[in-house]
Amino acid sequence: MRDNLPAGLLALCAVFAPLSLLSFGGSNAVIADIAHQSVAVRHWTSDRDFADLFALSRAAPGPGSMLCALIGWKVAGMGGALVATVAFYLPASLLLFAAARIWGRWRGSLWHRAVERGMAPIAAGLFLSGGVAVLRVAPAGLAAWIAALAATLALLYWPKLHPVPLLVAGGAVFGLIDWLGVVR
Amino acid sequence: MGGAVSERGEGVAKVSLGVLFLAFLRLGCTSFGGGTAGWVYREMVQRRRWIDEQSFLAEMALGQSLPGANGVKIAVLVGRRLKGGAGAFAAPFAMLAGPFAIILAVGAIYGRLGDHRIVHAVLDGVAAAVVGLSFATGINAIAKGAPEPSSIAIAAVTVTCVGVLGWPMLPVLLGLGPLSVGLALRRARRG
Repeated sequence: MRDNLPAGLLALCAVFAPLSLLSFGGSNAVIADIAHQSVAVRHWTSDRDFADLFALSRAAPGPGSMLCALIGWKVAGMGGALVATVAFYLPASLLLFAAARIWGRWRGSLWHRAVERGMAPIAAGLFLSGGVAVLRVAPAGLAAWIAALAATLALLYWPKLHPVPLLVAGGAVFGLIDWLGVVR
Repeated sequence: MGGAVSERGEGVAKVSLGVLFLAFLRLGCTSFGGGTAGWVYREMVQRRRWIDEQSFLAEMALGQSLPGANGVKIAVLVGRRLKGGAGAFAAPFAMLAGPFAIILAVGAIYGRLGDHRIVHAVLDGVAAAVVGLSFATGINAIAKGAPEPSSIAIAAVTVTCVGVLGWPMLPVLLGLGPLSVGLALRRARRG
């Protein structure tokens, strides 16, 4: 492992840095590519391992794309985790920072305001779309829709509700139902 | 609100770099279940009121037109709006530092726990609640940041194309973006 460590780090860069600049619409857009590269091309993880790492990255706090840290860890330990994380987040962030500087120069003009206000409902629609996309593939099916809508109503009714108790409640209810089913 | 104006632009509050760093560090450690952009919205717009709805959605729209993880992009942009170049670096760094440490620890624990059915059921329940969060965030953002009937229609078409029909986002953005901007320009000209 030790003597091909630099090769492993380079390979992580070669996979994650280009994907950083291809992730239009967010990191979900490149999850399929990450899976393909990690499992079929580079043989970093098995199918089963990848599914586990993916689920973990969704249950843990932070962006779902922290998946890249877990894959980097499997490839080359702590150094691999760091390299994969930086390779995935830095290129897109630098591009965005440069674009924001240029965009900021037109702040205050009529069409700048129009672009900002015109893009706002699309951004809001993409928030909603992310939720719909997850529900469409949710293993729990109808139960997931019902629970998601209940959570939505709770948050709209009590806007100050902290999300963490809600997530714990969701996990507890589904876990309990599964456990009762197993017992019975 | 509305009183807080700095040279970085309208709609943002004055905060120190240290406070900004700590706020994003805390945000990163508590943003369960992905959808980090929604957590940034709830924390920065709804709870702390450091940036108003319109400014946030405008920054988010800029981020959406470029590649990158959505939560990290919005951290870069909100950090930049609040504290310039230093903020643009500090906010995403702080937001990712906690989750980076936590996910490696969780990965090590999971490796020992093995594969229990109930673990998957619990994760499904958490995921459903997370979806509720994105729904509530999207509905709030429309109600406060884009309440005109034409904006609601644009948001509905976006959800239908990207969420329900599963079309790729980029062509939808290229089609709906100019239309929506045109409508906003007409509203602005009318007064």
